Amino acid sequence: MLFLRDLGETEVGGFGISAADDLLLIEDFVLVRQHCSVITVAFEDESVAEFFDRQIDRGLRPEQFGRIWIHTHPGESAQPSSVDEETFSRVFGRSDWAVMAIVACGGDTFARLQFPAGPGGSLSLPFAVDYRQPFTGSDHEAWTNEYLAAVQPEPDLIFSESSCLSMLSHAGDSSRTYSPLELAAWPEW
Amino acid sequence: MQILYINNDGSGFADHIHVDDGTTVAKLFTQRVPHGRTCDYLIRVNRQPATSDQVLQSGDRVSFTPTKIEGA
Repeated sequence: MLFLRDLGETEVGGFGISAADDLLLIEDFVLVRQHCSVITVAFEDESVAEFFDRQIDRGLRPEQFGRIWIHTHPGESAQPSSVDEETFSRVFGRSDWAVMAIVACGGDTFARLQFPAGPGGSLSLPFAVDYRQPFTGSDHEAWTNEYLAAVQPEPDLIFSESSCLSMLSHAGDSSRTYSPLELAAWPEW
Repeated sequence: MQILYINNDGSGFADHIHVDDGTTVAKLFTQRVPHGRTCDYLIRVNRQPATSDQVLQSGDRVSFTPTKIEGA
């Protein structure tokens, strides 16, 4: 999640894949095709449908892959915007339960569980990495390929500076910011 | 006849269900998502976009998946 958050210059979003016996334990994060800017992310409807079909074919239940919506925010705040709230209510409001989770570039996190049963309700959840879980290891190449296949930056809205990563430029005293994709394209010197 | 029905509402659904012969996509939507608006769902049959008057066939795979998932 953090690798994908910091890979480009835009917001990014996807679905959390839950453990079969613990639905609030996210074992994977999957991107769908999306159009993104520094401050917005919009999933392609057909890609969402394909994602559902693929997960069903894997033998997963909808509650394992379609209930935890995760996206990133620029800057420091992970608090949901009005757009986030509208989407969460409209798209996930008819599910027995759903979670909206946000990871800000500055490290702040937000997670809220909502459920319509009875009078309905919601509660904030802690959002943290569970280091007790087994981990097969990082695969930056696969993650980058997934990112490049899914994330379509909106050219008109891309700012020149990433809100996530910052390092001094080697060209004089400017402090232009570079994304990991830009850094990977730099020549050796 | 039996079809595979996929939907994320309620407790979620990805199972075979029985529908009457001649059931259209629109009729199934009304039965299964009575309070929903079609504009909030991408409706596909066998992974292809479907028209409301399309008559379902035995073994079809029908999915109602959410649309306009947007954040900011």
